[in-house]
Amino acid sequence: MRDFKMSVPDYMQCAEDHQTLLVVVQPVGIVSEENFFRIYKRICSVSQISVRDSQRVLYIRYRHHYPPENNEWGDFQTHRKVVGLITITDCFSAKDWPQTFEKFHVQKEIYGSTLYDSRLFVFGLQGEIVEQPRTDVAFYPNYEDCQTVEKRIEDFIESLFIVLESKRLDRATDKSGDKIPLLCVPFEKKDFVGLDTDSRHYKKRCQGRMRKHVGDLCLQAGMLQDSLVHYHMSVELLRSVNDFLWLGAALEGLCSASVIYHYPGGTGGKSGARRFQGSALPAEAANRHRPGAQEVLIDPGALTTNGINPDTSTEIGRAKNCLSPEDIIDKYKEAISYYSKYKNAGVIELEACIKAVRVLAIQKRSMEASEFLQNAVYINLRQLSEEEKIQRYSVLSELYELIGFHRKSAFFKRVAAMQCVAPSIAEPGWRACYKLLLETLPGYSLSLDPKDFSRGTHRGWAAVQMRLLHELVYASRRMGNPALSVRHLSFLLQTMLDFLSDQEKKDVTQSLENYTSKCPGTMEPIALPGGLTLPPVPFTKLPIVRHVKLLNLPASLRPHKMKSLLGQNVSTKSPFIYSPIIAHNRGEERNKKIDFQWVQGDVCEVQLMVYNPMPFELRVENMGLLTSGVEFESLPAALSLPAESGLYPVTLVGVPQTTGTITVNGYHTTVFGVFSDCLLDNLPGIKTSGSTVEVIPALPRLQISTSLPRSAHSLQPSSGDEISTNVSVQLYNGESQQLIIKLENIGMEPLEKLEVTSKVLTTKEKLYGDFLSWKLEETLAQFPLQPGKVATFTINIKVKLDFSCQENLLQDLSDDGISVSGFPLSSPFRQVVRPRVEGKPVNPPESNKAGDYSHVKVSGLGRWHLPRAVRASAKPFLKHSFESFSERKGCVYLKAGFSVVFVLGQCFGKQSQ
Amino acid sequence: MAVCIAVIAKENYPLYIRSTPTENELKFHYMVHTSLDVVDEKISAMGKALVDQRELYLGLLYPTEDYKVYGYVTNSKVKFVMVVDSSNTALRDNEIRSMFRKLHNSYTDVMCNPFYNPGDRIQSRWALLPVSDPVQVGPAFCVLLPSFCRTCLAILVAKMQPFGKQGRKGLFKL
Repeated sequence: MRDFKMSVPDYMQCAEDHQTLLVVVQPVGIVSEENFFRIYKRICSVSQISVRDSQRVLYIRYRHHYPPENNEWGDFQTHRKVVGLITITDCFSAKDWPQTFEKFHVQKEIYGSTLYDSRLFVFGLQGEIVEQPRTDVAFYPNYEDCQTVEKRIEDFIESLFIVLESKRLDRATDKSGDKIPLLCVPFEKKDFVGLDTDSRHYKKRCQGRMRKHVGDLCLQAGMLQDSLVHYHMSVELLRSVNDFLWLGAALEGLCSASVIYHYPGGTGGKSGARRFQGSALPAEAANRHRPGAQEVLIDPGALTTNGINPDTSTEIGRAKNCLSPEDIIDKYKEAISYYSKYKNAGVIELEACIKAVRVLAIQKRSMEASEFLQNAVYINLRQLSEEEKIQRYSVLSELYELIGFHRKSAFFKRVAAMQCVAPSIAEPGWRACYKLLLETLPGYSLSLDPKDFSRGTHRGWAAVQMRLLHELVYASRRMGNPALSVRHLSFLLQTMLDFLSDQEKKDVTQSLENYTSKCPGTMEPIALPGGLTLPPVPFTKLPIVRHVKLLNLPASLRPHKMKSLLGQNVSTKSPFIYSPIIAHNRGEERNKKIDFQWVQGDVCEVQLMVYNPMPFELRVENMGLLTSGVEFESLPAALSLPAESGLYPVTLVGVPQTTGTITVNGYHTTVFGVFSDCLLDNLPGIKTSGSTVEVIPALPRLQISTSLPRSAHSLQPSSGDEISTNVSVQLYNGESQQLIIKLENIGMEPLEKLEVTSKVLTTKEKLYGDFLSWKLEETLAQFPLQPGKVATFTINIKVKLDFSCQENLLQDLSDDGISVSGFPLSSPFRQVVRPRVEGKPVNPPESNKAGDYSHVKVSGLGRWHLPRAVRASAKPFLKHSFESFSERKGCVYLKAGFSVVFVLGQCFGKQSQ
Repeated sequence: MAVCIAVIAKENYPLYIRSTPTENELKFHYMVHTSLDVVDEKISAMGKALVDQRELYLGLLYPTEDYKVYGYVTNSKVKFVMVVDSSNTALRDNEIRSMFRKLHNSYTDVMCNPFYNPGDRIQSRWALLPVSDPVQVGPAFCVLLPSFCRTCLAILVAKMQPFGKQGRKGLFKL
């Protein structure tokens, strides 16, 4: 049974193929594929020939593979008939020649019943055999030296034409008196056994079929108009005898001829371009084909020789016989409905559907085309092999694409992809599957660039897209390309996070971790063989960063600009005192630039507010800053965020190694084994208070310690700018003591300058003003202080309160409003000191942090033990400020102002002897 | 009745999609997604017709083996797609039309919801209430949310009226 069925559909077929002659080109013996296709390509270039003495054009369709069972249907539609055979063979010695020639004959036998002519191309043979002139054999010394191949092919086609023409004339001029043989398709043969061959019915059937056959031949021979006439007559004859299969074929022939007439550019798209070089420009192609066709139509010679219907040459005849574009589709529909009556004609029906779709695509009638395709989907051929299924779905996809149904096209392409890896296939083609899946992406409006998703909310078919991504991941894994699967999985996690259920999130991350354990995710774009590039997928949502803030240095390390030195030069940039343009520019700059500085070599911090959207604990490793402008040593952090955490502060630190302007561009993380570089610019909904900061040259660091013991009590809660360590000393009036302050340079830069200023509480100046004295010169002699070196600075404290005018003194001492009891008994803890915050804002957190750097600023506190006679409380205040700074590159920054603050506290000492 | 109902935004992404056999939801996603090709094609063909004469009902988009897919497009190019079982012969064109009309009304009600952002997914559990009860799909698409919406609007209108009247009075006096 199977032999009668044409089993292999040609999915690339189009209506113009009806006018072509089928020539099979095959290798004989062992011919390397490369050589064969080189010649095959050259042969294929000869696809249309203007026949010498008439103005008709012959079209040739070349195949290097053609199933012989399809050839059996050659009578039904002559373009399915193999009429020419070209064989290519290697033959290097004369002694192999007879054998080679024998092989050629064997090959000829396969298509023997239908062949008009054949050729053998022999490569490599030299000698006397070559000298004998033969028409059916051509000898070439090698594959390079064969310029005449095209010429040979042209001659060959002309010989084909002669046979064709003779057959056409032979059949066309058959007189009704002769017995017309019944043409039939393979599966019909047994049906006609024992049928009455003399009945009118039978004769009509024979006539009709023969007419149709002649129509086919005319079409192939380039006589479009004649073929139309024959087809029309055939349709009438066959309709009257209800010979549906052949009626269908006649109608289809009619359609094909009309299509060729209406659309000279071809309907086949790509396959058309293959056949007619340069048909990429339809208009040009039209010009090339049209004149020939018209000349044929009005060529009286051509028409009278066939002697059938001379009046077809008139314009009226042409208009009448040729179907209108609308009719073409109706006739196709009719033909297909007739074909569908025959199970064995499934392939014919399918091909007719495809041809009709191609025509409709040109007519831009997508809706009708989709109906034809829908029909094609349901045509049940025999059990298809897996490859054929893949081919079928791919072609359906291509056709849907052709009519602009991108989604449907993507659907079928995906089905084809799934078919490539069907469980029944022994060696699943994951590569092909992956390639096909990639091609479906546009149809599902999915791009693999995460940037397309960062803008606004996701708008697409999440469920469908997610499925596709999962399939891509799986296919790439089975392909043995873990980098690809990691990339796709990261993409899935990043873009579809909002649509994943909690369980899915867990599953996806788990498999991602599995993959990355073998192949960590990178930030490199992955280039695919198809020319597609997969951009990197940074996990900007794992964790989600809401706020980025560059932090100032701790108070003790903060650089201060030395206004005194730079004061005059502040506004040298502009000659104008005020310019609105400059002011405007500054305003813009201010948006980005932050008004504090970082110091080279000091640890700088950036605070991020992050949260974890996952329903489980998120471990973020290797989280650090991405910067530009300055060499920056980032010190990555690892953090672990609790499940679905709220906003969570994370501080990223690093050390600038050079000076200049540093821009914090983003941060990098490693989550689930995937490295991500997240740039702030690409993060939606992020709040940042500027990301550019100036880095100034390294400054020295100074640690200060005193000889006096530390005080347990903080007399002066430090303000933001001052860090103090309190030391205490108790002295009697008239007593003196030395306070030794050790200055140690713990930085990397030499300390060049030291300045000591004293600030004495103004109101108490007259009382305590001269308690302290120092000699700076001795200390300065040790400067510049090299890193690691220690300098000492001595302060003499001499208490000399003048009790001669006691009233005043006591008055002053009690000014601070502390009530003092008259009893000479008191506790040192009762001392009350009001802090002297010099109008600067208190910033406790910073000062706390700064406390870690207490070596920089030290306040010494002398607690003064007043003589017992004194019954008053006082809190005089002295402040001495030592300043060190370094000067370089014309910028002067004060590294750290530190102060030794002496607060004259009062306490009621125990009565002492 | 209907086994799947989908509301598709003007830009062809789904606003709402729900199907009764929830176990094979993806199949309906695919079905609705591919049907958009036909919807697009029909709309573009319709674009030539006069706008006011346009028929919102698109008719049968395509039949599959087990289902029939129908389409409907509002004037603002929001598409409704309904999948019905093809074995259900009781559903004639007229029934489908009336189902779509009800769906359209429900959609309008959802749009009236002051808490709904046009273009967002329709999240409400009750919104459209399409297919949870196959028998009910025809007559009662939506019950709770639209009525809530209506009361909501009524309250709003009632609250605004005094202001409106005063304003108008003031205007008249002037």
